[in-house]
Amino acid sequence: MNKFRTIIKYEWLNFRADKGLLLITLLTLITGLYGIYYGTTEISRQRQHLANLSKITAHDVENMKVQFPGEADAGDVGYYHSTFAVNHPDSWASLSLGQRDINPYYIKLRLLNLQSQLYDSDNINPLKVFTGNFDLAFVLIYLFPLFIIGLSFNVFSIEKEQGTLPLLLSQPINLSLIVAAKLSFRAFIVLGLAVLLSLTGMFWAQVVPDSRIVLWLGAIVLYCLFWFAVIFLVAALQKSSAFNAITLLGIWLLLTMVIPALLNVYVALKKPVPQALALTIKQREVVHGGWDKPKEETMNKFFSLYPQWRDTTQIKERFVWRWYYAFQHLGDVAVADLAKDYQNRLKERQQLVENLNVLSVPVNVQGMLNALTGTDLLAHLAFMQSATRYHDALREFYYPFLFNQVAFTHNDYAKEPQHSFTSTPQISLVWSGYYKLALSFLFTFIVGLFIFKIRFLNLK
Amino acid sequence: MVKSIAQKEFLSALRDARFLALSVIVLLLLLAATVVGLHSYYTLQHEREMAQEEVNHHFANSADRHPHRMAHYGSFAFRPKSSLSFLDFGLDSFTGTSLFLEAHKQNSSNFSQAQQSSSLIRFGEMTVAFILQMLIPLLIIFLCYGAFTQEKETGTLQLMLSQGVSLRQISWAKVAGYSQIVALVVAPALFLVSLLLFSQSGFNLNADLLLRLLLFIGAYLVYFFIFIVLSVVVSALNKRSSTALISLLGIWILSCIILPKAAANLGANLYTTPTKAQLDADVHDEVAQSINGHNSADERAAAFKKQLLVKYGVGSLEQLPVNADGLVMAASEAQSSQVYQKHFNRLTGIFQKQNRIAEYLGLLNPYLAVRHFSMSMAGSDFAHYVHYQKVAEKYRYNLAQTLNHIQATQVKYQDKTTRLSNATWKQIPPFRYSSPGVGWALKNQINSIIALLFWLFLVVVTGFKLIDKTKIV
Repeated sequence: MNKFRTIIKYEWLNFRADKGLLLITLLTLITGLYGIYYGTTEISRQRQHLANLSKITAHDVENMKVQFPGEADAGDVGYYHSTFAVNHPDSWASLSLGQRDINPYYIKLRLLNLQSQLYDSDNINPLKVFTGNFDLAFVLIYLFPLFIIGLSFNVFSIEKEQGTLPLLLSQPINLSLIVAAKLSFRAFIVLGLAVLLSLTGMFWAQVVPDSRIVLWLGAIVLYCLFWFAVIFLVAALQKSSAFNAITLLGIWLLLTMVIPALLNVYVALKKPVPQALALTIKQREVVHGGWDKPKEETMNKFFSLYPQWRDTTQIKERFVWRWYYAFQHLGDVAVADLAKDYQNRLKERQQLVENLNVLSVPVNVQGMLNALTGTDLLAHLAFMQSATRYHDALREFYYPFLFNQVAFTHNDYAKEPQHSFTSTPQISLVWSGYYKLALSFLFTFIVGLFIFKIRFLNLK
Repeated sequence: MVKSIAQKEFLSALRDARFLALSVIVLLLLLAATVVGLHSYYTLQHEREMAQEEVNHHFANSADRHPHRMAHYGSFAFRPKSSLSFLDFGLDSFTGTSLFLEAHKQNSSNFSQAQQSSSLIRFGEMTVAFILQMLIPLLIIFLCYGAFTQEKETGTLQLMLSQGVSLRQISWAKVAGYSQIVALVVAPALFLVSLLLFSQSGFNLNADLLLRLLLFIGAYLVYFFIFIVLSVVVSALNKRSSTALISLLGIWILSCIILPKAAANLGANLYTTPTKAQLDADVHDEVAQSINGHNSADERAAAFKKQLLVKYGVGSLEQLPVNADGLVMAASEAQSSQVYQKHFNRLTGIFQKQNRIAEYLGLLNPYLAVRHFSMSMAGSDFAHYVHYQKVAEKYRYNLAQTLNHIQATQVKYQDKTTRLSNATWKQIPPFRYSSPGVGWALKNQINSIIALLFWLFLVVVTGFKLIDKTKIV
């Protein structure tokens, strides 16, 4: 154990003297801090925007009261007044923004048919979302492997190239011990930095301190260890430093870019999403067709779904709101299957990625972190379902006014249901990710050990 | 001598099994990306064409409707893929594909590919552009990092110089040799791309497309050349191969991974994007100040009607030769769409300011310059997206006004029940979109062209000057 400590000590002296290594460590630290800063500002901006929505709604209600100074027809209110379904970020979202910048985090709703409103997107700069987020997850998943490679690509080859290897071997120490000590030293620095940045991020973002602290740190540590296993494997081949650098960068490129891009193609081929355009076209046809259908036919269809309103007055007028909202809703009913298919197809896509992400550790870990922070596609789909339920609640709130023909007073605005949804983490996904991550690590490490045994025994 | 140096580099690279293996991988990826890109192009294009045809068919064969009902029924603009976008998807996967065009309202463009994907799509897409922008430079680095350091390490540099060739000649010879090799890797794929483009009947081959392709290829050749010279220069400045390699890889990581992301994020932090909710609320408040075609109690509409009576010299609206409802609708549409347009332009302006940071950074980073230029030639950049939105808005406005005109001329005042047959709707031309010409695209590319030329100048003039001063041992 003493020898181990001696090597570590000299590694530390070496490290301290090497300006290049210090520089990349410092760079990693700075990019990590920037990632935390970026993530937290992004999420606090989203929070601010969400808080602003209640002001917009309040302003809208004021406008409504001016437009309808006395009692109003609830039909008019339903048509002109809008409210929001909101998707609050989980307290952890700042650490891994996931798809929160692409999918809208609020949905503006009127009493009209839901399917024409549910998919409206927010103002998004496509170039920005194309380039992606510089959040802590990006730093840990993309840049940390590069940091690890930068620190360790020549961990063993440099001894050969500097001619210090024979010297080392002449000492009465085990070769495995040298390699273990050198890698441990680097792992110590990298893990220290990763844990430090993660804790800083958690503190900065003021996350709810729950079991996810352990889950996050565990995932990060295991991910870094996986990369050290890769380093070990490549070092065990005993090639030149240049070969190692190229090979390691090649592996990084393969795992973080090439394989994910190929998987993406496969998913798109295997699970196309024709439902989106189909449902958008069909819902418009049905809703606008509603104007031309006999009112009785529309109402009977509607009453079969909502028998509680059946005995309300028969419609003789050319236009009446309850008929209007009945065919609006029937538009949703007509595309309910397509809408469900659409959601299911997106879930299938996610599931397919889950099944395939064993091929790329970074994809797996990104999925784990997004699941942990409630920022993935599933979290958004859950929000859409919650928004759908909110729309149901709105309809249930307005229907008595419409069908019993009760006037809508200024006091009634405050009684309108409000919506609030907070993204929830998907812990079960994190666990299945762990399982695969551990497997990847063990596999790489064992292969490395195997090569090491063969090559280094020959060396002696 | 110079020729033989070039030839030596060419041959030794060909004999290097590792380099050959890498080249074959890159070439295979390029071919795969071409095939994948084409397939995805056809799938998406087909899906959108079918959708567009379907809505056009619905419109032309619509049930008998009142013209203003038809204006609310509206139409859709599905964004067609531009022909060359199979080479560079650019922003296409992150922009909406379906835009509902209705009276009184500008809608958002919905259903982007990215919204339908898990976070996997954020890792990047397999396109020809991705390989040309990211992987070929790595291949170049791998090929060239030892250009001078190896000669130094084996002592052959001094030998060569003693033969009477200058450092500059050696450098040029090496650059020439490496360029040939890169050409050998890239040419088959580019040839295939061109061949596919020429042989596919699905593409409307014209001068514009050809010019876009040539400029696309040209920009990448300049980009590769910059990387080759840069690598040779860095190699000359270093004593050891390993340090040259590490420096070059550092440059690659910084310019291809870190800087682009930082630039986009910085832009978004500097210029805040207003939310759609806020923008809609602002539009709503402003539109409320103008004529409302649907509100009979509206004062401005009443004043407008009074003016009409004066203009036509009649006593009541019923006596007008035209339907006042249609005219009020038209006036209201003109005013509201102006408000929408103003806010749309403001939003687009903010996005452009955000994006300009990355454009200017092209001067520091040729990757950003070539990325920007490549998307533009492929017709998948931000400017092309805005162009489509503007064309769609113009169509929406004209459609609404055409229908208002029909209401004004073919339907009586206060008549809400008359329905016109689809013979009327058939006369309205459907939405058609074609990408703007290459000249239009180039106008947005002045920054990236300057950046690429600047870099070319920088590596050729300053780079070689640095080589002249390099220490030989």
